[in-house]
Amino acid sequence: FVLCFHHKMSLGLLTLRALRGAPGLCRRTPAATGGLRAASSAAPRDKRAVITESTEEYKFVERLIPPTRIPDPPKHVGAAPSGWTPPAESPPPLPYMIRRSRMHNIPVYSDLTHGNRRMTLVRKVEGDIWALEKDVREYLRQVTGKELPTQVNEVTMTLKVKGHFEQELKDWLASKGF
Amino acid sequence: LFFSPQFASSFSSETALPPNLRLPSNLVDPDRLKRPPPPEDSSLPLIRKCDAALPAHLSPVRTWVDTLESKDSEPLGLTELHPDVFAVTPRLDILHAVETWQRNYKRISHANTKVRSEVRGGGRKPWKQKGSGRARHGSIRSFPPLKLNCGVSHGPRGPNSYYYMLPMKVRVQGLKVALSSKMAQQYLHVVDSLNIPTPDSQYLLELIRNRHWGESVLLVDVSQEFPENILQATANLKTVNLIPAIGLNVHSMLKHEAVILTLDTVRFLEEKLLWHDERYTFLYPFKLPYSDFP
Repeated sequence: FVLCFHHKMSLGLLTLRALRGAPGLCRRTPAATGGLRAASSAAPRDKRAVITESTEEYKFVERLIPPTRIPDPPKHVGAAPSGWTPPAESPPPLPYMIRRSRMHNIPVYSDLTHGNRRMTLVRKVEGDIWALEKDVREYLRQVTGKELPTQVNEVTMTLKVKGHFEQELKDWLASKGF
Repeated sequence: LFFSPQFASSFSSETALPPNLRLPSNLVDPDRLKRPPPPEDSSLPLIRKCDAALPAHLSPVRTWVDTLESKDSEPLGLTELHPDVFAVTPRLDILHAVETWQRNYKRISHANTKVRSEVRGGGRKPWKQKGSGRARHGSIRSFPPLKLNCGVSHGPRGPNSYYYMLPMKVRVQGLKVALSSKMAQQYLHVVDSLNIPTPDSQYLLELIRNRHWGESVLLVDVSQEFPENILQATANLKTVNLIPAIGLNVHSMLKHEAVILTLDTVRFLEEKLLWHDERYTFLYPFKLPYSDFP
């Protein structure tokens, strides 16, 4: 990147010098020609062009290159304006743990298949997933009043619940401190 | 002991094996399991702590750090290994997927048969359409039993590629699961460096036999230049192999019984494998420069 950048710069300087050498060809602004003429007249006996290589201007390129790691969210007092709450300082004393996603959100997602099959998926569970399933069933029974079928996948450590309960489960898990 | 998946269940009351089960006696080498993991109050120094931030609810895995300098030497100290690399859930389905991918993505099958148009000859109609009393045919190369050297209509056609790519995160998770499984089965050992006193293969074999590491050993180091002694010692050995850390893969780890990592390798692997847990998806390929690529 550095070499091509300076190659273009030095090409520009060379062409401008060639133009200035031929009389009557350069019709630029007097300020530009005055500055350039001063630079060329400083070393008139050096016929060969001196190409200097400097990496000082590369800092302008470096500050544009994006990072790869997701940064930690800034510290808010209580909830952020969007409604996002950070996880608790220490994990809650429950037999299960639900980690945050890589964008620091609660991993509860709603799913719609076959046009009418509504499901809610809780991912990234660690620990005793059956205890979490019991608590989720208990909580949703209080909220809705009906017994909802759930599916526990012990291999992938996920929990599926019939129906769209994404917001309720997210608020419940946030209140628990996950 | 490592129970096969069909006997493992989440109900803790059913840990007993069924009474009519017969297991072979050489399934697990009892000498290998004589060394328990280091206790909490061990007197040996902690050589290395985890560089990356640990999740609050997990504690690091502790292992012994050995040397290859002498055959029967005590462990030098302890290391802490990151639980998100060396203690993930044992996902056998991911291991299977990555292993089959490793076998098949390079496969090009060159099986090829000729179709009736490619078989030499057979342009002429063998007998007239009507009147001969035999079945109607257009060429002698169409299908048996007309003539032996006929064309195959639905056979394998030409060099066929079985290339496919698993998602990057699945392959990374496969590496983590393989390392965790080796750790859990006590087949993973950490060594300070791969320097041995003599370039003798017998020395290595006796060392491995004394420490009950297993039949086959995979030695992993960070750099691509290994010490001369270990290169010569493993040159003629079939079951003991060297590999740089960038070449570590699930197939090699499953093929060899024991995996030996150096401390630098552990640091390298943790840095590279944990980056995938907290990275953005790529804007442009990762081969091009980013500001904080590991």
